[in-house]
Amino acid sequence: MAYSELIKNFEKVRSYMKEFYIYGLKSREEFSTKSARTYDNEKRRIESYLSDYIRFKRDKTGKNVFISIDSRNASHNPFFKVWKAKSFTDSEVTLHFILFDILKENQQGISLADILEAIDNDYLSIFEDPMQFDESTVRKKINEYKKMGLINSTKNGRSVIYTLAHEDDLRQLDDMLNFFSEVAPCGVVGSYILDKKSFSDSVFCFKHHYLTSALDSEVLCTLLEAIYDKKSVTVHYSGKKTDLPSVYDLIPLRIYSSVSGGRQYLFAYNILTGQMRSYRTDFMSNVKMGNVCLSFDSLMEQLNSAEKHIWGVSIKNMEKTEHVEFTIQAGEFEQFVIKRLYGEKRCGTVEKTGSNLYTFSADIYDSSEIVPWIRTFICRITHISFSNKTIEKQFLSDLKKMYQLYDIGGE
Amino acid sequence: MIFHEIYGCYYKSISEMLKLALNNELDNNTTKKIIDRYAFNESSLEILPALLGQKWQLIDRDFSTPIINSPSLPLTTLEKRWLKAISLDKRIALFDIDFSFLGDTEPLFLPESIKYFDKSLNSDPFDDPLYISHFKTVLEAVKNKKTIMITYTNRRSITKSFRCSPYKIEYSEKDDKFRVYASSCRRTRLLNLASIDKCTIDSNAHLTDTDTMQDLPMYVVFELSDQRNALERVLLHFANFEKEAEALGDDRYKVRLYYDKNDEAEMVIRILSFGQHIKVTQPDSFVQLIRNKLKMQYEFSKEKRKMFDE
Repeated sequence: MAYSELIKNFEKVRSYMKEFYIYGLKSREEFSTKSARTYDNEKRRIESYLSDYIRFKRDKTGKNVFISIDSRNASHNPFFKVWKAKSFTDSEVTLHFILFDILKENQQGISLADILEAIDNDYLSIFEDPMQFDESTVRKKINEYKKMGLINSTKNGRSVIYTLAHEDDLRQLDDMLNFFSEVAPCGVVGSYILDKKSFSDSVFCFKHHYLTSALDSEVLCTLLEAIYDKKSVTVHYSGKKTDLPSVYDLIPLRIYSSVSGGRQYLFAYNILTGQMRSYRTDFMSNVKMGNVCLSFDSLMEQLNSAEKHIWGVSIKNMEKTEHVEFTIQAGEFEQFVIKRLYGEKRCGTVEKTGSNLYTFSADIYDSSEIVPWIRTFICRITHISFSNKTIEKQFLSDLKKMYQLYDIGGE
Repeated sequence: MIFHEIYGCYYKSISEMLKLALNNELDNNTTKKIIDRYAFNESSLEILPALLGQKWQLIDRDFSTPIINSPSLPLTTLEKRWLKAISLDKRIALFDIDFSFLGDTEPLFLPESIKYFDKSLNSDPFDDPLYISHFKTVLEAVKNKKTIMITYTNRRSITKSFRCSPYKIEYSEKDDKFRVYASSCRRTRLLNLASIDKCTIDSNAHLTDTDTMQDLPMYVVFELSDQRNALERVLLHFANFEKEAEALGDDRYKVRLYYDKNDEAEMVIRILSFGQHIKVTQPDSFVQLIRNKLKMQYEFSKEKRKMFDE
């Protein structure tokens, strides 16, 4: 098949985008699971979508292509562009613009027969070799647009009359859309609305802004819809260790999004295993909505009561928590450190335990999750204790390795 | 369905071309300009032959069109549901939006369906009327290039009043805070919106020359060993920075990151959070920052042998 810039299936480009953007390490030869031609086509597409952000480098493994973006300099997520690359047929695009023009011309409504007549007589007749649209093609397209909320229909006796859905005045929305399309879930939808009008340029820029979640928008959208409707979902889940995705039946409960690590998770109840746990949304594909779940509310209650013991996204054992405690020293003029301790703690308590000493303590399901945060206080930790002694030992041993890395303690 | 051609940039480009064709303003030149603006790098290779070759029967070879009305689309149900969900967000109070046009549309999601679990608890007071009023004043000033007079309390609790010209509003998802970039007396200030005590448009002052801040480009180079899935965690964690990664062999990698000088302290603790998986190698000044922190910690360890000895 000839190369086309547009794509039918988003999944194909999704994995390459992640590979180029997050890692940016592999050369053409290292993409061994796909053919060289597939690699070339995907690379060419991504270069076309994101030309301003594509970088090349050559190392001993060959020439690498990667995407490099400082998200603070992008007032709009560049990855939204990839969502605007859906392929279509010649007849689809022709019919689309003609159909909506006919509906605009006939504000009071028009029947399918009259639409067909108008297409032939008023639109296509000027072309040398006019396209032919049969009734079923046009009806199918109208029904698709009806489902999307673009067209309304009413019955007039035996015939159905179609009208264009009401067009709202969107002028007041520009600043709001420029902001929320970047920070809200499924922000690409906001970007679609921005495309409808010539809105003013964004005055916003964003810090701690992870762009990759935009690639999971379709997955996230279906999950959020399922949560709202209290429905189950079936998902294909590709963990790091398996090539073939597992198929899970889940009751989705809440999305957990990390604003400092870039990952996004779904907390869900696995119907087969009877366990509640988190699943990464970037490992999911092919999410299909199932039936309404009667147990949704009670599972949500369980999650809500468990939350005070979840540091990140892990529940190792819901029956057992682990105690973590550490003390830091902060001087009189280092209130910003104390502010950070209070502001960044996700559960647990902070107490002033001495002159310039502050102790954090919490009971959490998985104390390994809190270790990276504790490390951010390195240089002022005066005491630390984990009830899980394996984690404590690991923490102290890692700290020693850090000293060794930077030749500290040997002098 | 999020992935649909009606949202695509080809449809957007065609729509813009038809608008020009209706005014007899479409030609080869304007067609190419539209494609460059709305579509992709290589799109002209596909759009132009398809349109002018009459594969898409919307524009004739002389750039006339049978379309009568300027193309536009109503909001789809998905777009309305997304907007309804946004109308429930606490930050929406910052924008004067009348959402009555959405009627009884169901939201796509509820605020409680998504939890930003590592977001700071010290967020800005988005429901405080004074804060909202300051936000709106700053927004108006940025959009209309106006000067403002503000009273501001800095982090050392010193309050000052000054005139400045805000030119950009930054939002941090982690801190859940807005900051304002403003030029004032030939220097750029970065102001926490929540620390503004008073803020009014100064209609007498005119913006002359905005000395917008050019952030100093800084870099750090570190090596990492891919143990405990460190490669993926590190690269994803720093994905929002400009960066280059290189494989060194034996599961070791070298990463170069570019960051703002203003964020150096934060960058140090972010790197420390990865523990022994990351070793900073360049520049020396950054290595020294890490060493200083570790040295201080080592001194604590020495003092409290009991606690830090295995």
